[in-house]
Amino acid sequence: MTAKQLPKDPYNIIITGVGGQGNVMASRVFSNMLVEKGYYVTIGETFGSSQRGGSVMSHMRVSSLSAWSPQVPKGKVDIVVTLEPIEAIRVLAGYGNPAVKVLTNTRAIYPAGVIAGELSYPTLDEIRETLKKLSARAWFIDATDEAVKLGNSILGNIIMIGALSAVGDIPVGRDDFSAVISRTLPEGKIADNLKAFDLGVKMMKQ
Amino acid sequence: MSYLIDTKEGASYLVMGNEAIVRGALEAGVNVASGYPGTPSSEIIESFSKVAKERNLYVEWSVNEKVALEVAAAASFAQLRALCVMKQNGVNVASDFLLHLVGSGTRGGFVLVACDDPGALSSVNEGESRYFARLMEIPLLEPGTFQEAKEMTKWAFELSEELKQIVVVRSVTRLSHASGNITYGKLSDEARTAEFKFGGFVLDPDEGIVISAPVAWKHQQQQKKVEKAREIFEDSPFNTYEGPDRPELLLITSSACYLYSKEAINVLGVEDRVGLLKLGTTWPLPPKLMIKHLSQADKIMVVEEVLPFLEENVKILAAEKASEIGIKTFYGKNDGTIPMTGELNPDLVLAALSTVLGIDYTPVPEEYDQAAQTSAVSRAPAREQVFCPGCPHRASFFSIHNALEMDGRGGFVCGDIGCYTMAIGSTGFHSLKTLHSMGSGTGVASGFGKLGQFGMNQPILAVCGDSTFYHAVIPALVNAVHNKSDITLIVLDNSGTAMTGFQPHPGLDHNVLGEEVPSIDIARICEAIGARVEIRDPFDLEGTRETLNELIEDASGVKVLIMRKACALSPQRKNKKDYDVHVDQTLCVGEECGCGRLCTRIFGCPGLIWNEAQHKAEIDEVICVGCGVCTDICPQGAIKREEVA
Amino acid sequence: MEEKVFKRGQEELRRHVLETRLCTGCGACIDLCPYYKSYRGKTAVLFPCVIDEGRCFAYCPKVEVDLDGLSELLFGKPYDGNPLGSYQSIAAAQAGDRLKDIDSQAGGVVSALTYFALQKGYIDGAALTDRKGLLPVPRFVTDPEDALACSTSKYTAAPTLSAVNQAVKDGYKNIGLVGTPCQVLAAALMRSNPLNADDFVDPFGLVIGLFCTWAIDFRLFEPFLAERIEIGRIRKIDIPPPPSEILEVFGDNGTKLEISLNEIRELVPNGCSYCIDMTSEFSDLSVGVMEGRPDMNTLIVRTDRGKKIVEEAEKEGYLTLSAMPEENLEHLIWAAGNKKKRGLTKAQGEGMINTTDDETKAYLRMSVKVLERLTA
Repeated sequence: MTAKQLPKDPYNIIITGVGGQGNVMASRVFSNMLVEKGYYVTIGETFGSSQRGGSVMSHMRVSSLSAWSPQVPKGKVDIVVTLEPIEAIRVLAGYGNPAVKVLTNTRAIYPAGVIAGELSYPTLDEIRETLKKLSARAWFIDATDEAVKLGNSILGNIIMIGALSAVGDIPVGRDDFSAVISRTLPEGKIADNLKAFDLGVKMMKQ
Repeated sequence: MSYLIDTKEGASYLVMGNEAIVRGALEAGVNVASGYPGTPSSEIIESFSKVAKERNLYVEWSVNEKVALEVAAAASFAQLRALCVMKQNGVNVASDFLLHLVGSGTRGGFVLVACDDPGALSSVNEGESRYFARLMEIPLLEPGTFQEAKEMTKWAFELSEELKQIVVVRSVTRLSHASGNITYGKLSDEARTAEFKFGGFVLDPDEGIVISAPVAWKHQQQQKKVEKAREIFEDSPFNTYEGPDRPELLLITSSACYLYSKEAINVLGVEDRVGLLKLGTTWPLPPKLMIKHLSQADKIMVVEEVLPFLEENVKILAAEKASEIGIKTFYGKNDGTIPMTGELNPDLVLAALSTVLGIDYTPVPEEYDQAAQTSAVSRAPAREQVFCPGCPHRASFFSIHNALEMDGRGGFVCGDIGCYTMAIGSTGFHSLKTLHSMGSGTGVASGFGKLGQFGMNQPILAVCGDSTFYHAVIPALVNAVHNKSDITLIVLDNSGTAMTGFQPHPGLDHNVLGEEVPSIDIARICEAIGARVEIRDPFDLEGTRETLNELIEDASGVKVLIMRKACALSPQRKNKKDYDVHVDQTLCVGEECGCGRLCTRIFGCPGLIWNEAQHKAEIDEVICVGCGVCTDICPQGAIKREEVA
Repeated sequence: MEEKVFKRGQEELRRHVLETRLCTGCGACIDLCPYYKSYRGKTAVLFPCVIDEGRCFAYCPKVEVDLDGLSELLFGKPYDGNPLGSYQSIAAAQAGDRLKDIDSQAGGVVSALTYFALQKGYIDGAALTDRKGLLPVPRFVTDPEDALACSTSKYTAAPTLSAVNQAVKDGYKNIGLVGTPCQVLAAALMRSNPLNADDFVDPFGLVIGLFCTWAIDFRLFEPFLAERIEIGRIRKIDIPPPPSEILEVFGDNGTKLEISLNEIRELVPNGCSYCIDMTSEFSDLSVGVMEGRPDMNTLIVRTDRGKKIVEEAEKEGYLTLSAMPEENLEHLIWAAGNKKKRGLTKAQGEGMINTTDDETKAYLRMSVKVLERLTA
């Protein structure tokens, strides 16, 4: 299958969050959707100690031509998807540029230093202000809250995947998602995951 | 069925570098795989174990890397194909056996996969395994793409059998843990029978005895094998060149740095100025190939990580062949163009290239960069690594820390490698005061414990995990007991090798293949060695602290305290809440004298958060796993727990 | 200009008392919060506390003690440096017929008073010192019989005030204390509402102070004794009144060890050498040995409520009082005056009295005239 042309090649996505939130799962699901459509995907991730509550990033290079470096060069990220708000700020400092798009889950996870009272965590308004300033387009989604309503906070990742697909730059959608999860998930979980995906798409339209 | 053993030849899959290595080995018909957990290598044994039944593999998590290499070697001696995998410092552990193995030679194809961690993303060192190839005089292969990871591993078995020598395939974190599309080849359908032949002429490599002596003769044979590899490498498809015939700059690279270099050249648009020579066979260097490319350019840049291994080997060759190729200008680590420490990335290669080629490159408009950096400083507070909610180590170190403060004689803890290594930081109350390699905490403590005659009167403690105990602590404990060193060893037994992904170890009753196996009891080993052994539940904070103080004061010999509680991520505990926990805010004293926010400021479980508006502590219900330990630390009894039905 | 915060918290307590080895382990800072613990006679700090002004500092008898303030609070007059402190009467005393057979020290007066006060409800609980092996431990009792179990002197300090702190948290409103001079001084500080709390209530119903010249460091004492006797066999320890210069250790099989006080004096904690109070001057009642009379106590009555309890106890047969011999009184005054002079001179010499800059907290604050007179 020849892949449809991308707005630019390689197209760079960074999915970020806090270790243990399901960052890796999200990047796996989305990248398999891309492979479904015939793209080359190179993913750069770190596992092991970064799981223990540290910041994690998955760099995804989507290309119709070849594999690329597993790290996005500075200033070259096209979309940042974050499961935790301040991680987006961190990523933009390393890889952002004026044309970047940002998708943010609004649920904060406080770093140990903040809980201990040594560091301060910005307000949601401050986060919105910063992300809007540093991007061309920013969306804020209460993915965790909605996921808890659906019955499991980890579905927040799937909501974000749905939202990401709705950005539209990359031609993948519900069919690709459905194909991937029918291969990888047990029968009983598929319905909830589809619900979450659809919710993510819907939340982008608001 | 695992996608790793899909028989459809030509199928395309998105796989991790580690999985590509596994697929390559499966296509080569590997029979035995062994290793010890170590990031970034652990997925390799785990993937093998998932297909072990279908592919009739024997897969083992050995007790340490040295034994793992020995186990795999046996398979090779018995004419099977074997693969042994470890992280960079694991090669150090295996190196004594390796030194003798390369003298004795091998039989069935034998591949050592070494996964380095440049930048120490999941290590406390960024050592290099590549030098072992030169030191031990064996061939070294470095894949530069995901497809190569598969192809090279597969071919390495053939090379190994041709040379009757072990072959090193060296990967790095950014390949092993990165993912990319690969195209599958054909799975091997060869069936091998294990037989160890030893009845022939003693020096016969196939039917003699497998020893590294007589050394002089065997060493010569070893070097002849290196020579043979050198010739074979001249035509290797793993050495590729992209670029003009006479480039302005020849960039020589290997491993993941190939991807960084390719990206950097692409971003700068200098494909017509820079020739990209990617070496996959990095030791021994094939001289004819090198001469061919070195003579086409005056400027040479070598891009690699971490140390200038390739750079120096190229320079030696260039010096030897100077009359043929001319005098060159080299750029690399030794002249500071490329950093000598840490991992590389496209940006560092971009910076190097733009300097050497005289290009002005600004990745991001200055204004944006300023704004982004400022925002990161003021609005993205640093995220320290902490023990998971419900982790027994947090409770253990709380008790250890308090016991030492109460003892008041300047006692300290010699640290070791595992999740509990994080006790260097605030999450473990800064308890660890020395930290080196696997098992070294007990060894160093054994040394400290003999310094009483020089006036040392500080209580000496060491910690280790259960997996670490089997790996390397046992000899150190024997040393301490036998030499009457007054130390207290704390074994943090959480029923698994947690930091690397919760692999099994000899303390458990099942192995990586899911088979039932005898578990080997740590307490009984310690007793047999002659230590005084106590076992406690770390969640019993006061009982543990009391026992620890008693042990620290017991000067009768070596004491071992086993803190037994399963890891919060273990199958026994994951997603199982013991308690519903909440804070009664009418009782919470918070910032006032009488508490000073002990739970959120000091104890630091991520499940406890501080409500700035109410000035009270709260439980974050999404994060809290319901272990109930915080109930026992609150001085006001404000944290309540109710057993979950 | 940055406003200077006037800090009197854990950091200051560490710097001025713990790190300088002034601490005598009275326990006033323990069980107020999770950060202070006592272990085998030593006060340990578990974690740093960042509160600017805390009770630990305020209650500590070794830092920022305003002698005039305390004297006004308890006796209605400034601190005048009287060797025995302020008092109404002084007598020789013994436990009365009602408590004839109690196993106690000297005259058994402390036990008798505590028993009586609990029995009659003058106090709803008492913070006493019990023993776990050789180690003295705080014990809070509500049953008068339990008070008798805590009789016999200890000679090594226990953090008895931690039991008071715990009792306050548990809701006791009329607490009794039997303590050493430093503990009694800390109790006085606690009673002075040092942090100006609006809802402050004095938790003490009766403070009985003991005479003390010095205490013994438990962590030095234990190995010292262990070389001479099996610790588990010690039944009682006694330092008979002067002129005897020995410490007696009674074993459970009838053995008795006599150790010269010269050897014992080497085991005294550093903080004791700065103490200026031999007779627990800030108590309601003070009780000590009586020279030459090992079966009797010296009883000092200081306050009205102390006086009331003594009179009642005597009336009901729990105490017998007799006149204090002149010679004993003279000698007591001499000894107490000496200790005061020694302590003040040492502290003064090291610049610990009436310091003037906020960074250097004073140990004591007192009238310059009184100080000069006492150290002349």
